[in-house]
Amino acid sequence: MATHPTTAAPGADRAPHGRRVIVAWLVLSIVATPLVAIFLGPILPPGNASVQGSGQVVDNTVLTATITPVFCLLLVFFVYVLTRFRAAPATALEDGPPLRNHNGIQVTWIVVTTVVVLSLAGFGTFELLQNGSGGGQGPSPVAVPAGADHMMQVQVIGQQWNWTYRYPGYGGIETQDLYLPENTYVVLNVTSLDVIHSFWAYALGVKADANPGVDNVAYLKTKGPRSFEIRCAELCGLWHGYMYQTGHIVPQSQFAAWIKQQQTLNASIARYMPKYSRSYYPDPQRRGG
Amino acid sequence: MSTMAVDVHPPVWRRLIGFNLLTGVILGVGGWYVGWFGAHAVVAPSLSFFGDIDFNELSLVLAYLGGVVGFLTGLGFLNYPLARLRGYPSSLREKETQGVGRYFTLCTDHKVVGIQYLWGIGLFFFIGGLNAMLIRTELLRPAHQVFPAGTYLTIVGVHGSMMMGMMTSGILGPFANYLIPLMIGARRMAFPRIEALTFWILMAAGVILQTTIFWGGFPTGWTGYEPLNIEAYQGMDCYILFFALVGISMTLLGINMIVTIVTMRAPGLTWTRLPIFAWGVLSTAILMALAAPVLVCTLSLALFDRVVQTNFFVAAQGGSSYLYENLFWVFGHPEVYILALPGFAIVLEMLPVFARKPLWGYRLAVAGLLGVSLLSWFVWQHHIFVSGINGDLRPFYMLSTELISIPTGFTFICGMMTLWRGNIRYTTPMLFCLAWFFNFLLGGLSGVFLSDVPSDVTTHGSFFSMAHFHYTIMGGLVFTFFAAIYYWVPKMTGIQLSERLGKIHFWWMFLAFNSTFAPLFAIGFLGQPRRAVTYAKSLQFLNDWVSVSAFALGLSLLFFLATFVYQLAFVKKPAEANPWASRSIEFQLPSPVPVHNFDRIPVFSSDPYGYGEGPAPSWTPAGAPAGRD
Amino acid sequence: MAEPLASPGTGYEVLENEPPELMGRGLRVGTYLFAGGTAFFFLCFLFAFFYLRSLDNAGMWKPKGVDASIPWGTVIVALYVASALFVRLGLADHVAGRHREWRQKGVVALALGLAGLVVQAIGWSHQGFGPADGGFASVYFGWTAFLFLFVFGTMYWLETVFATSLRYRNTLTGQPAPGEASGDPDRTAHDIQDPLSLVRPGLEALSFYWTFLAGIAVLAWVLLYLV
Repeated sequence: MATHPTTAAPGADRAPHGRRVIVAWLVLSIVATPLVAIFLGPILPPGNASVQGSGQVVDNTVLTATITPVFCLLLVFFVYVLTRFRAAPATALEDGPPLRNHNGIQVTWIVVTTVVVLSLAGFGTFELLQNGSGGGQGPSPVAVPAGADHMMQVQVIGQQWNWTYRYPGYGGIETQDLYLPENTYVVLNVTSLDVIHSFWAYALGVKADANPGVDNVAYLKTKGPRSFEIRCAELCGLWHGYMYQTGHIVPQSQFAAWIKQQQTLNASIARYMPKYSRSYYPDPQRRGG
Repeated sequence: MSTMAVDVHPPVWRRLIGFNLLTGVILGVGGWYVGWFGAHAVVAPSLSFFGDIDFNELSLVLAYLGGVVGFLTGLGFLNYPLARLRGYPSSLREKETQGVGRYFTLCTDHKVVGIQYLWGIGLFFFIGGLNAMLIRTELLRPAHQVFPAGTYLTIVGVHGSMMMGMMTSGILGPFANYLIPLMIGARRMAFPRIEALTFWILMAAGVILQTTIFWGGFPTGWTGYEPLNIEAYQGMDCYILFFALVGISMTLLGINMIVTIVTMRAPGLTWTRLPIFAWGVLSTAILMALAAPVLVCTLSLALFDRVVQTNFFVAAQGGSSYLYENLFWVFGHPEVYILALPGFAIVLEMLPVFARKPLWGYRLAVAGLLGVSLLSWFVWQHHIFVSGINGDLRPFYMLSTELISIPTGFTFICGMMTLWRGNIRYTTPMLFCLAWFFNFLLGGLSGVFLSDVPSDVTTHGSFFSMAHFHYTIMGGLVFTFFAAIYYWVPKMTGIQLSERLGKIHFWWMFLAFNSTFAPLFAIGFLGQPRRAVTYAKSLQFLNDWVSVSAFALGLSLLFFLATFVYQLAFVKKPAEANPWASRSIEFQLPSPVPVHNFDRIPVFSSDPYGYGEGPAPSWTPAGAPAGRD
Repeated sequence: MAEPLASPGTGYEVLENEPPELMGRGLRVGTYLFAGGTAFFFLCFLFAFFYLRSLDNAGMWKPKGVDASIPWGTVIVALYVASALFVRLGLADHVAGRHREWRQKGVVALALGLAGLVVQAIGWSHQGFGPADGGFASVYFGWTAFLFLFVFGTMYWLETVFATSLRYRNTLTGQPAPGEASGDPDRTAHDIQDPLSLVRPGLEALSFYWTFLAGIAVLAWVLLYLV
């Protein structure tokens, strides 16, 4: 094998490479992590329009701060290795030291990654169970915030290609727009009449799939008045890209007035409306296909 | 050469007659019409006994199935089964031909199949890439402007399906088929005809997916969610048949790979001496052999729902859309590791060569590959965290998803420690491998946000998740795919590729890739949903930036294609047998590899990573038995 | 320097006369894996069965009148199982060198399997419900249809093994002409040495797979007819 000059010089290179990398990494991480947490954290999505949204911002901040040292380690390592151990043209085919293993490094790596991973999973579970984080939880939710019995119920109905809403606490009226009172705990019952949609109120940190025949529950506590965009986040056919609306969080008094107005509007059509139900099955004979 | 004294240069027209691609296409078209009219004439009336059969759907489905059968018949795939039916005994190989013609036939030489795969998959990869360019053209403006809404969804769907369907075999098809027998010291794959079959089924599938545009396209994207699937146009059937055929191809490819590696290793090639690439192929093949049948079944159910009016996925009739989501992702998550794992293996295979050091932590690396392969079965519901399926199981899926980063981390530490104190050469394949670390790191770290349920509420279904899987799949698989091309094509063709052009391609692609997908993380964080043709006005600058970068990325791939074809067809610089000074056995063979691979089956006495450990031991020790075969 | 691994100029001759053990082992491992793939395939139906049953969406899992006919199902499954049993017995004969008895049992197994398929085809039209009648009906027709396809494929396999035994029943030690199965009249030697010796591994693999599939059929019978 003439192409294999094997002139490794074991032990010739005694520079403290490992120590250099670790020190550089520690310095960079200690500087970068707080900076990321302080400056990047607050601008992470989805914002502070709801309690759930704020929770996600905290969550995203913690995750970003956790991955920063990991990123720094790889960055420092590769910058060091790729510059320091670059082959000189003359000795390009010289073999390096035949290091095949090192138990200490293996064990350390496995332990550290495991600890990081388990803490991330534990933290995520903790955050999730606090208030459901605004995600759809299915018909029998587990992450139920305190006082769920007294929440305002809003049913979100997806159909191609629009959202409508029913307020069972106000006679099951159906509305074309979503209005929520400020500083109120809301339980969203998301369902669909045809295909899968996904109700996404980005600014509020709420996303829940709308499935036919399923009552998908998500919790939300609004903060101060504002408007927010609602989009469909699950491909639902031709006009999926146009399935968006603007929703509103309004002061309590304004909400009461709006509801009254909607009840008046609904009075004339109430007898044509299906009874409020947690899910609806449209006429089964009218199938596509 | 062959001692047969037959006329090796018959006239062209004579050579076109017989079982080959041309006959396959002719019979394929014929079979299509037979299926179409047969369905109307015979099959549909008899099936209508059972109720409400959709004649148009049934005709189209049977037409395509007839087309596939005709195509395979024309290629000659029916000859051997019919001979067996008449009682002729087993045989391994079809009649071997020489020359360019064998690339257009059913050829049982694993090296020919590998090269067929390379060009076939390359073709569909570029078609998928063109679709991506169209998507980015549409997204230059926030409102919908270039394509009709349905066309846009079809483009999105074809791009996704083409990439996910074709590139699943992107490494195992070309490179594992070509290299695994060489690396394990064998002369063939375990089932040479099935090997060829996987390729031609895949080609038929790709064509079927393209023809969806004649049937109204399909609106569901590559996931084909129900019940949108049921109400879609006939173009949906093309998607279903495409993916089902891909699933069949994957299953057979996976089984063939496993059997080859398990039963056909040469003497001395113990499990701890197996090249890490073979381990990567093995762990991928396990997923293919077991997950792809789930895909085939799921899509068959979808087809039943469309054609014979079953109700698997119709909630009002006792079905459930959740059933589809569950079944699809039971396949779908192993699927994404089918895409990622070969990339891990290629990186670990090449680093020792270009760092001139043994692979560090061989057993840890193997554990990593197998660990990912195993864990990928237990994470599927993280794709549907907000769907309302099993809300109480989300902490479990969050944990299992995050656990998978531990074996993935094994790959990282093994790769990093292999580089440590090495003598690193920056060749083109090495650059692509190093880019893998960068891309997969970003892909993996962004995955943390998607695996975490609270954070996933916002990132799910947004451009963030889209950027995430492009970093892992394009950054992980496609970059290593190119590493493999630059590394092994000189061996496969005997033609050396230019390092200078390769490095231009690399830097162009690497920068354009990151410029395309890094801003998508921000776009997703800012709330732009996937697959929607409209977006907020405030996001136009970022989207335009991404589109322009995507065009640059597309051009870098065109640059590659042009230089690649130019070098293979015109420059033809002969390659040395071992251009990278590798110790792996395939580089000890002549370039290109002779049809029989080895004069004698080699005998292994070490793994191929003994850099710095003295001269490589001989594979043909004097006085050793001739080996099996 | 050892001798080179391969010289560029050799033709296909070196590929000939491979020892059959290699292919035999490949068949065995390949069959195990194929059985694994088959299991995952049918797991989808198992999952669909229990999933849709537990959801019972719109009360349409099993509307009134949708009940699979137990006699039909029992006959079908009994035929499948009997066929698999006869293959097992035939394999035992083959192992013991009683080739004639194996062929007799083989043809019986083939007939039983095909009869099962015919009864299944007739049975579908005697169920009193169609595929559109709710969740159970969907699972019923999907599962039995695919079982039909898989059994049909297995019968093809059984036929090939049987046909080879039959065609070369008088050729105990000799060789069939090379290249017959490959359609290659110019071939001068077999690519596998003594390909007739592969009947045994083929039969073993078949027997394993057919038993496995019959097991799935029994599972289907329990769930679709009895439960």
